[in-house]
Amino acid sequence: MGNKIEPFEFKQCVSIVKSTGKYASNLSELRKLISRVGDESIFHHVYQYFLKGHMLEYTNDFAHWAGEHLEERALAERLSSIDPYTLKSVTEVRKELIREIDDFLSHFPEPRDVAPGSEFYFNETVSLVFPVGVKTRNLAEFLVAIGHIDAGSIYYHFYDSRVRLGEGVVDDFSRWIEHTLYRKRVADKIRAIDPFMHSIESIREHIKEIVEECVRADMEGVED
Amino acid sequence: MIRQYSGIVPKGDLLLIQKLCEKLKGRSFIHVNSTREGGGVAEILQRMIPLLKDLGIDARWEVLEGDAAFFEITKKIHNALQGNREKFTKKMWEYYYEVNRKNKRNINLNADAVLIHDPQPAALIDFRRKSSRSGKKIWIWRCHIDVAHPVSGVWPNLKKYIVQYNSAIFSVSKFAKSLPIDEFIVTPSIDPLSDKNRELTDREINEVGEQFGIPRDKPIILQVSRFDRFKDPIGVINAYKIVKKYNDCRLILAGSPATDDPEGETILNEVRDYAGNDPDIHILLLPPDKHKEINALQRMSDVILQKSIKEGFGLTVSEAMWKEKPVIGGAVGGIPLQIVHGLTGFVVYSVEGAAFRIRQFLNNPDMAKRMGQEGREYVRNNFLITRQIRDYLSIWYCSMNRGRHVMEL
Repeated sequence: MGNKIEPFEFKQCVSIVKSTGKYASNLSELRKLISRVGDESIFHHVYQYFLKGHMLEYTNDFAHWAGEHLEERALAERLSSIDPYTLKSVTEVRKELIREIDDFLSHFPEPRDVAPGSEFYFNETVSLVFPVGVKTRNLAEFLVAIGHIDAGSIYYHFYDSRVRLGEGVVDDFSRWIEHTLYRKRVADKIRAIDPFMHSIESIREHIKEIVEECVRADMEGVED
Repeated sequence: MIRQYSGIVPKGDLLLIQKLCEKLKGRSFIHVNSTREGGGVAEILQRMIPLLKDLGIDARWEVLEGDAAFFEITKKIHNALQGNREKFTKKMWEYYYEVNRKNKRNINLNADAVLIHDPQPAALIDFRRKSSRSGKKIWIWRCHIDVAHPVSGVWPNLKKYIVQYNSAIFSVSKFAKSLPIDEFIVTPSIDPLSDKNRELTDREINEVGEQFGIPRDKPIILQVSRFDRFKDPIGVINAYKIVKKYNDCRLILAGSPATDDPEGETILNEVRDYAGNDPDIHILLLPPDKHKEINALQRMSDVILQKSIKEGFGLTVSEAMWKEKPVIGGAVGGIPLQIVHGLTGFVVYSVEGAAFRIRQFLNNPDMAKRMGQEGREYVRNNFLITRQIRDYLSIWYCSMNRGRHVMEL
């Protein structure tokens, strides 16, 4: 008998949106509120941006608003380049957002208001995490599961894990594949997927391709 | 009952509903609104209550009763909250409160969670038992309308009741107010299994076409909505007239009367006069229970509009998207949340914009088809009834565990 393999248990995260009741009509107001709202609100507008699934021109809600409603494209590009996963905490993300906005305001100090109805509304979320009832013990089972789980489950294991597990950890999938199945090359390929450049559905397809290639190679007796 | 949704709605929503119902099993949940029929709220409650009961929740639905004078007042409140100028007297607010007080005698409000829909029954909170104020019983006010820019005076009269609730729910972030209570955002939803949204056979669709005398000889543009100024039916006719110069088509304006909307008939007459004798404009006033007929009208249409100038959410947009129809909507209320501009339809700001987008769809069937398909998937993930039930149960559960931002089930 070999060692018992710890299965990968798929979980899902559903977030219920709460309003803070605060909103900004121009960049100065946005800056002021970014410095004052709770960590949960910054977390929602930066980290949970990827739950939207389809809009990927920007990488967080602040950049999206700057580009689409303030029509300040350069600022939107700079805010989009903030990588929340390389920063150690929400506090650092907040500092980085403020630094970029302050720099922009020092060059363009008279921000104008957006059209009524296009204000930035600060929200936060309450998250409910639950197992989806699927456990996999090998890559073939994992391949079937990854094709059928909801997008919210991929978000939880691919994006949320980067915050949940702390510095240095990328995603739950590659961690399990490397440390439980000892398939480092497969894990490395999954880690190489750029989280900012894909929708959740596109990430699903990339992971499927990587794992399918490995399962096929196993069946053909070809080592990866 | 919830099994009927398997394979249609996202799996995670079904799972979470069942897990939350295990936690809340046997507890009572009452919904109160002001009309049994007509409007999106009543339609959803008709489906949601039996579903919740089936999942072990002691769910009830009560309807606030009022006379014509009461509904005249609440219609004015509704209009004023949406930014229309209305005159109020102290007596009107007293009558509003009095009708709520009378209803308290007939409605059993003793429940673990009480969800009050819209302004009409909002004052019922004043009659909440003192024992339930400090206990674990949760009172939630659910606002379905656009209250972002109310005319001055109306909101403070309502706010004094709203702040007594444990929490409030708004359909869109921009409707939320600055309140000292928790405010959640829950978008409304459609039921994919209801008569209004289920699949129909070609025969069923053709029968409805014949019933209303609508020839299927040219493209059909449709707007389904109450005959209400905020839905801009005159603007829709104007857009149709512009399109007609370039593309032959028909226009259907279809709506139901609602018992809480005394203005409907006046607007309907105005629309009929404005349409004149154009044989290609079909104005249909349908009884509120003609869901299958609305479904068929949507399915026989080529382009579906919701050209509102004020809107709570505009669920007819999701209904149309669920049927893979290309949609065009006014940039108000919840419409831009449903229509991702250029992906699941087009958002417009004027009659001319609506006309231009109709022409685009009529002349680019491939684009219309692609956006229709994208629209259905978007609705599946965001605007189906199971997601709304999931959210209501989650808010109830979160309110019982206030202060926690992440909860493992």
